[in-house]
Amino acid sequence: MHLSLRHISKRFGATLANDDVSLDIPPGRVLALLGENGAGKSTLMKILYGMIRPDTGDVVIDGRPVRLPSPRAAMDLGIGMVFQRFSLIPALTVRENLALANPRTPWIVGSGARRVPGLLDRLRDIAPDVDPDARVSTLPVGQIQQVELAKVLNLETRLLILDEPSAVLSDAEAERLWSLVREIAARGIGVVLITHKLADVRACADDVAVMRRGKLVGRAEAADTDAPALLRMLVGDDTVATVSAEPVRRNALPRIWIRDVSADGPSGTIRDIDLRIAPGEVLGIAGVAGNGQDTLADACAGVTALRQGEVTVDGETLFAPRLEPRNHGRVAYLPEQPIRNAVGPDLSLAVNLSLRCLRSLPWMVDRKQMAKTAADLMERFDVRPPEPGRRAETLSGGNLQKLVAARELSGSPALVVACYPTMGLDVTASAAMYARLFAMAREGCAVLWISEDLDDLLRYAHRIAVLFRGRIAGVCDAGPASRTRIGAWMTGAEAFA
Amino acid sequence: MTAFDIVTSGFLISALRSATPLTFALVGETLTQRTGVINLGLEGQLLVGAMCAYAMTAAWGNPWLGLVAGAIAGMALSAVHAALVVGTRANQFASGLAVWMLGFGLSAYYGSSLVGRKIESFESIVPKSVADLPVLGSVIAGLTPTVVLAVLIVPVSALWLWRTRTGLRWRAVGESPEDARAAGANPSLIRIQAILLGGLLSGLGGAALSVDYTRTWAEGMSAGRGLVAVGLVIVARWNPWWTFPAALLFGGAEALSLRLQTADANVSAHLLHCLPYVASLAILTLTYVRGRVSSAPAGLRAVMDR
Repeated sequence: MHLSLRHISKRFGATLANDDVSLDIPPGRVLALLGENGAGKSTLMKILYGMIRPDTGDVVIDGRPVRLPSPRAAMDLGIGMVFQRFSLIPALTVRENLALANPRTPWIVGSGARRVPGLLDRLRDIAPDVDPDARVSTLPVGQIQQVELAKVLNLETRLLILDEPSAVLSDAEAERLWSLVREIAARGIGVVLITHKLADVRACADDVAVMRRGKLVGRAEAADTDAPALLRMLVGDDTVATVSAEPVRRNALPRIWIRDVSADGPSGTIRDIDLRIAPGEVLGIAGVAGNGQDTLADACAGVTALRQGEVTVDGETLFAPRLEPRNHGRVAYLPEQPIRNAVGPDLSLAVNLSLRCLRSLPWMVDRKQMAKTAADLMERFDVRPPEPGRRAETLSGGNLQKLVAARELSGSPALVVACYPTMGLDVTASAAMYARLFAMAREGCAVLWISEDLDDLLRYAHRIAVLFRGRIAGVCDAGPASRTRIGAWMTGAEAFA
Repeated sequence: MTAFDIVTSGFLISALRSATPLTFALVGETLTQRTGVINLGLEGQLLVGAMCAYAMTAAWGNPWLGLVAGAIAGMALSAVHAALVVGTRANQFASGLAVWMLGFGLSAYYGSSLVGRKIESFESIVPKSVADLPVLGSVIAGLTPTVVLAVLIVPVSALWLWRTRTGLRWRAVGESPEDARAAGANPSLIRIQAILLGGLLSGLGGAALSVDYTRTWAEGMSAGRGLVAVGLVIVARWNPWWTFPAALLFGGAEALSLRLQTADANVSAHLLHCLPYVASLAILTLTYVRGRVSSAPAGLRAVMDR
């Protein structure tokens, strides 16, 4: 199926999201669609998937213009899309989710959809180790994505759109995904990979198309381009600032002492965590997803009650079992999945930005003042669009992340807990986020930084602690030399030896 | 009185008969709530169903016609809820209360001429000779078609919800309408179907109440059964299989309160009438104390939290 987009334009209010974009998508090839947050690549693909109607322009399949009034129509034409926000239903099992989306599911599906013939064929091909009877809510994110892929492939898809598929994956999971994408393309299916990671392009793309500010600014074969050239196309003439953390004084007293902490969270338990973070230090937490990172972050931010131990700031207890949290603005928390964990989705941006100082707001809130403060913050943290009255749920993932950073990092915290802070951010915005974290550290803040991106951790953190099955498998100084040791700790190869 | 006596002396059958109208309503509400909609109008649907069924039976002398009329009436009233909730996206609680009051008023108005009228109702489904069988004879002899229907509707609805594509879609809509839509289901249509099916079953429950259980019509005769059903859905954990024990619990408490009254227990009849409700309340509290109600459809949480 040879698909072309011809002269597509789409306007949302004041912004021109797509400006006369024409794009060819040949079968059997992987096209990487690159662009920064808000460059218009998601809009373009949503048009292709029938979720948005373009103002002008056509979608043409094999020379024939087609109408795409709904995702259903797109699916019927063989266009499938895997969203960044997964569309599997967590409370149902893998089988039930697959059966739900499969148009050939018979009326009798049997208990747990175990009687649907052929349901698991695609899943077996791409992910033989996924338990089909497990509830999706219990699967790690890499497996959820594989199920999502199987679900779309079950629909006889001939064009597959993947929206930033590697954003939520660890390195190992991303490599698995890349080889999957290659296999899928080898079967003659066209693949569009929306991404802003150059690693994705290097690993599996045949062609690259770059969008900037709603326009298609370049298209090339992946083999003919190199990283600097792509980067120039991506960000235009802007240069990407390089950031680095300052060296830390090692003899300093710990600013934060996570002392012998155990806690149970919904996504895992942690046991006997003992970490000291000096003022100005960035402590990275590495580990394969699901080894207790979320619980550690929640415990250090006072979201999850401790079962044992305490968290202290400058010797003063912040959190301990059966103790009313005493953080009072001294912990800044950038949780993962900000839409779920860090904002009120249907509150305005201004209200969301003032949530942190809720206790100190006057009884009668001065809305104008609130909107003004919000506008200032959004300008400083580059939250787009900068409309204080807009509801938080209407922001894109990257801008939500920036919104939460604007709220959390604008005070004077002693501890910053950052979970995957650059997830969903493009190159420029990631650099800005890191620069902010290091600026906090420079002011004497302790930073606990949870990430699955080992490269970034090794480059930017002072020390790295590795979580394995809820315990600290090891702590070492960051640096290229530590990579193999950390890798061994992450996989449990020398766990607790 | 030993446990054996309780069973054989007809306590079990009176519990079963009392639980029958509730079972219909409970199964219906369970299915409705599975799609993420709460229908507090159940009470009104029971009343309208009871009234229409009674009127039909009185006019034509055929209780089966009564059941059909009751079911249709309950469904018609629930269409109001469907139109408000799905059509205009009205608040589900407000809409449910409106439907309840509407059903109460309509049934009281049109039912006023039915007060005191006699009807021909169902016979036992088994021949008289069976009643002489030892142990379970009296139970079997007391079975009427509505009781059997109520017992059957439980496995049917459970199999339908857990083992068919339609049931899967309903559950998906209850968990996440957006994702269900992405998977090709039509959440609005499914919710309308679910509300109407809930209305049909509660109308049938009302019919069983007036035509078979009490065999009389009185204003407001459902006496809170609809609201009890809404609460028992939580006790049954949104699982059709558990609706029957939950309904039996209520029925058993009601049978017990009647038994205590006839046994000249020195307790106010008004207090005894509270027994089934106290029992339902107690079991509901226990359900929450025992742990998080984790099997609730995620879509319902959105309704509850607003």
